[in-house]
Amino acid sequence: MANNNLIPSKKQVTLYLLPSFVIYGFTVLIPIVMAIYYGFFKWSGGPKKEFIGFKNYIDILGDEIFWKSLSNNFYVVVFSIVVQVGIAFFIAVLLNTKYIKFKNLHRSTIYFPSILSSVIIGFVWSILYDYNYGLINFFLEFFGMGDLKQAWLSNPNLVMTLVCIAMVWQYIGTYLIIFLAGFGAIDTSIFEMAEIDGANVFQKALYITLPMLKNVFAVCVILCFSGSMKSFDHVITMTAGGPGNASNLIALYAYQSSFLHYKLGYGAALSVAILFISLIILLIAGFITKKFNKD
Amino acid sequence: MKNIGDIKNIDNKYIKLKFKKVIEVLATGALNIFLVLFSLSCVFPIVWLVYSSFKDDLAFNSNVLTLPKEIHLDNYIELLTDGIITKYMLNSLIITLISIIFIISIGFIAGYFIARFDKHFKSIRFLSKAYLVGMLIPIHALLVPIYIWFNTFNLVDKSFTLILPYVSFGVSAAVFLIQGYIRSIPRELEEAAAIDGSSLTRTMFSIIFPLCIPILATVGLMQAFVCWNEYSFALTLISSDEYRTLPLGLTLLKGQYIQSFPRQMTLMAISMFPIIVLYLIFNKQIIKGMLSGALKG
Repeated sequence: MANNNLIPSKKQVTLYLLPSFVIYGFTVLIPIVMAIYYGFFKWSGGPKKEFIGFKNYIDILGDEIFWKSLSNNFYVVVFSIVVQVGIAFFIAVLLNTKYIKFKNLHRSTIYFPSILSSVIIGFVWSILYDYNYGLINFFLEFFGMGDLKQAWLSNPNLVMTLVCIAMVWQYIGTYLIIFLAGFGAIDTSIFEMAEIDGANVFQKALYITLPMLKNVFAVCVILCFSGSMKSFDHVITMTAGGPGNASNLIALYAYQSSFLHYKLGYGAALSVAILFISLIILLIAGFITKKFNKD
Repeated sequence: MKNIGDIKNIDNKYIKLKFKKVIEVLATGALNIFLVLFSLSCVFPIVWLVYSSFKDDLAFNSNVLTLPKEIHLDNYIELLTDGIITKYMLNSLIITLISIIFIISIGFIAGYFIARFDKHFKSIRFLSKAYLVGMLIPIHALLVPIYIWFNTFNLVDKSFTLILPYVSFGVSAAVFLIQGYIRSIPRELEEAAAIDGSSLTRTMFSIIFPLCIPILATVGLMQAFVCWNEYSFALTLISSDEYRTLPLGLTLLKGQYIQSFPRQMTLMAISMFPIIVLYLIFNKQIIKGMLSGALKG
């Protein structure tokens, strides 16, 4: 009898898990499949849907804005892997040395922007970059470099980097925490032994911490890929993709096509492109981490 | 003669040691100063926004950096009494609370079944993989498809619309943290309870549930921030003013107050207030929860 109380019956499993799973399937899983189907239609949101086969998908391949947006997406990924992961790792190393005071305070402070809405972050940074009232121009003037002043977010060459800075600034705390968790998992006696042998902070970071954190780095890189999609919120609140399409992203372009230009079929096809690219990246990332773990 | 040589030697060693000590103190000081500056840069823009919100337009326009000479509360009073932003806050609060209740309860039950019975049932292994999809998929790729899909069932722009995606994506994130936590609870407890005749349901809710409260609280807090801040689903799925959530309302009001930065800043400061209070109270638990969950996800 005891066994019956320990393992649920089929009926219990269904009763407990099915209702919530139906909602989940309805909201998440089915739209993934339906996106592919919607991509076959020309539809402006009205009652008339016109089946046009693969036209949307073929159009995407010749769409300049799509390629521009895709390259921007990759720019965000590379920028966040290099700058965000780099700085977060450096700060984590510092926080793990015995020299630093108020470690918990630093941790909480650096993590703080991560819990704010990206709308607020986008707003704060767009004032920082503002021509008349921005702190950047204020400091430039203050230090006598007034001729460098410019309307930062209107510069198509800089705009992606500036948006990335705002994003990196917001989420650096998240990556810091991931690294600190990784450090916590390393046996501290290794560091003590290295210290006895006379290793300094940077040697320890380079020869002990880095190799032992391979997996943590892998997690961070995967997060940078999926997180680069999050930059949607920052871009839409700071530049709305402009000037021109200089800071457009695929997800934002899908949004614009669907809701500003009323080409919902095309928007769905763009969404499929995002899903497809993400899938490939995930597969590559999974493959690389497997390889890494074998070594 | 020999003695003097000895003393010189000792002196040298002493000086070297002292020198090393000085270097260490200097380096420690430099590192600490660097880190303090770095931490400050992480909060300064927000601090700047909050204190600037107490300036009037004239004071802000004449110097953007200085602290306000006098506290100017007109913006706060006007924004808090005209009822618009408070309406958006109330909407966000209701959506957040309902979503959290669902995320926690669904996440707990699914987490428990996945942690304990994924070896017994194929369907549970499938469920676990399905929830993983929701965690790995870039949410923004689903904005348009979910809009079209919901539209066919007339589910767009209703009071409950946003709860569906918030709960679904929230659960997929929560399940993994919760099931990881439950796996660390020894099974003997449940076996003993089963022998004593406790049913599965009773064991789950009266024995396992209380033990999971720390992780459920962490997940709840994290998801509360996510729901409160969520912008892109609100942007695509909500169009009528009565259902707007706070982030959506902010972008709208920001456009209306475009001529006054302090007023826009007041708007942002008011909307951040609940989050900042929660963070000041719970930051240790949040960081601890993040630390324990960071690598499991």
